[in-house]
Amino acid sequence: MDLNFLFVNILNGVVYGSFLLLTSLGLSLVFGLGRVVNFAHGALYAMGGYALIAVMHAGGAGYWLALAVAPLLVIPMAMAIERATINPIRHRPDVDTLLVTFGLSSMIVGAIEYVWGTGTTLLPPPSPFTGTVDVLGNQYPLYRLVAALVSLLVSAGVFAIIQFTPMGLRIRAITDDPGMAEALGVNIKRLLTLVFGFAAGLAALAGALGSPIFAIHPEMGMNILIDSFLVVVLGGLGSLTGSAIGAFFVALTKSIGGGYFAEWSTAFLFLIVALALIVRPTGVFGQGRVA
Amino acid sequence: MTTDVWPDRASAIKTEARTRRITSLLIFGGAALLALLPFAGIAPFTITLLTEAMIFAIWAMSLDLMTGYTGMLTFGHAAGFGLGAYAAGYFAREVTGDFFAALLVCELVVLSVALAIGFVTTRLSGAAFAIVSLCIAQVLFQIAVAWRSVTEGMDGLVGVPLPRIFGVTIHNGREFYLLTLLVALMVYLALRQLVASPFGRTLSAIRTNADRAAAVGINVALHKWLVFVIAWAVAGIAGTLMVFMKAGTTPMSLYWVESGNVLIMAIFGGLGTLLGPMIGAISFVFLRDALTTGFAVWQLAFGVVFVIVVLVFPSGLAGIVSLLRMLLWRARS
Repeated sequence: MDLNFLFVNILNGVVYGSFLLLTSLGLSLVFGLGRVVNFAHGALYAMGGYALIAVMHAGGAGYWLALAVAPLLVIPMAMAIERATINPIRHRPDVDTLLVTFGLSSMIVGAIEYVWGTGTTLLPPPSPFTGTVDVLGNQYPLYRLVAALVSLLVSAGVFAIIQFTPMGLRIRAITDDPGMAEALGVNIKRLLTLVFGFAAGLAALAGALGSPIFAIHPEMGMNILIDSFLVVVLGGLGSLTGSAIGAFFVALTKSIGGGYFAEWSTAFLFLIVALALIVRPTGVFGQGRVA
Repeated sequence: MTTDVWPDRASAIKTEARTRRITSLLIFGGAALLALLPFAGIAPFTITLLTEAMIFAIWAMSLDLMTGYTGMLTFGHAAGFGLGAYAAGYFAREVTGDFFAALLVCELVVLSVALAIGFVTTRLSGAAFAIVSLCIAQVLFQIAVAWRSVTEGMDGLVGVPLPRIFGVTIHNGREFYLLTLLVALMVYLALRQLVASPFGRTLSAIRTNADRAAAVGINVALHKWLVFVIAWAVAGIAGTLMVFMKAGTTPMSLYWVESGNVLIMAIFGGLGTLLGPMIGAISFVFLRDALTTGFAVWQLAFGVVFVIVVLVFPSGLAGIVSLLRMLLWRARS
């Protein structure tokens, strides 16, 4: 076995895992808070990529400025969507919110195709990270490592917010016991809108940050949505620690398996998740809930 | 104190029997009308659309059994459909174009996969089941793309022969349409029998409250597993018809967009009624044909309609009918 090949695959897995972490955290947060499984999360990830292109082309901005602006454009959009569609039906059975987010996903992808067409765009790595770097004798694109680092830092920031701020305290309280939290004066409705927008911002950031690595196209969100779902099911819906471990497990399995078994690794990964579900229906780490 | 839950039980039963009679009349009248349509000189293209609508109707009814009657929301119902289409299409191309043989092979494949997948997934409920159902369909989609030696990848399976029944070739157009209509009618009658049976009532009990159903001694996991397998098997019938109609299939038949399509057909018509999904499927096919000026616009329009239907008319066309009936009743009294 070629060790260098394995090593590069592991590196790819870590890079993909850090992106998956960003998207899964948002998915998990929104579920923990409002029992909302957001099927439109992948579409919001795609929106991030397209917002980046739009700011760069229409606004003439450089990559880094556009990267900072793109999530800020998606956040208010997501908050408006949440207010208009998810908030009014929160008293209805869970099924209805699932259906609405599924419809929203189709709507957002359709809107992207309508505005930007169905083509694929691959951005060049932005300066000053255009070159490759020598990692144990392998030439590895520098930008991938930088992007992974940015994702990890942002994810660490999310954990810090949840753990150490008053808002994080409220979010944890609601996840723990929504009825009690509301009785103590936490405004779930407002917080859900806020967190929904925040989670969409994370997804959009991942989409924008990944655009020089993975290509931008209208359906780009679907694969990462499926992988994020595997992550949260594996880690337990609503459990952030579970999501963090799950993200790297899924990404590494996919990328190491992908190196040797091509597309079959996805089916293999699904088998692992299925087995995990038989043994632990509430997720491997047990703190999550299965609705 | 004894309070009768049904103060007017006899009249309730009478009403139910009357509703059943009206539905039967509607179904057989509708079927007769649909069967006569191709002889009324309508365009061949309309016949193709009607055939597609009937195939989708079968498919949407199978989803309704799972989602509407048992409460298992699925975002991956393209799985049974696409899998059945591949199995039947591959067999018909490689071995024989006999319709029943292809259907049998399709059902063997779909049943074995559904038994295995259903065993795992039906232990989940609610959101987790919905998520995993989508993942399964996407995995099958990826396998269909990757397994080139059998599925021919993204190009799709082509060259499926015309179906034959007892050696007689069924041509596309009028003949195939009548075959599809007959199959759809049979599926409808079988499913109606099923949901009215004690088994069907048990499914309703599980949908209403799974914990309570388990408490009175219903084996919830077993029933959900059975429903999952039956729904996939019926979806496989639709897939077999589709692969013969289009003389092939592509991985797109397994894509999440298709799962969304069948879901909206059932919801638009009204979940928990078998007639609703049929009407939903017919409306869907003709609406899509009218709106398809470009795929992008269709996808966008589809999303908007989907969201509005769920937000404003959660019980679909059937809900509107019962709303009208209630208003009528109120106006009369």
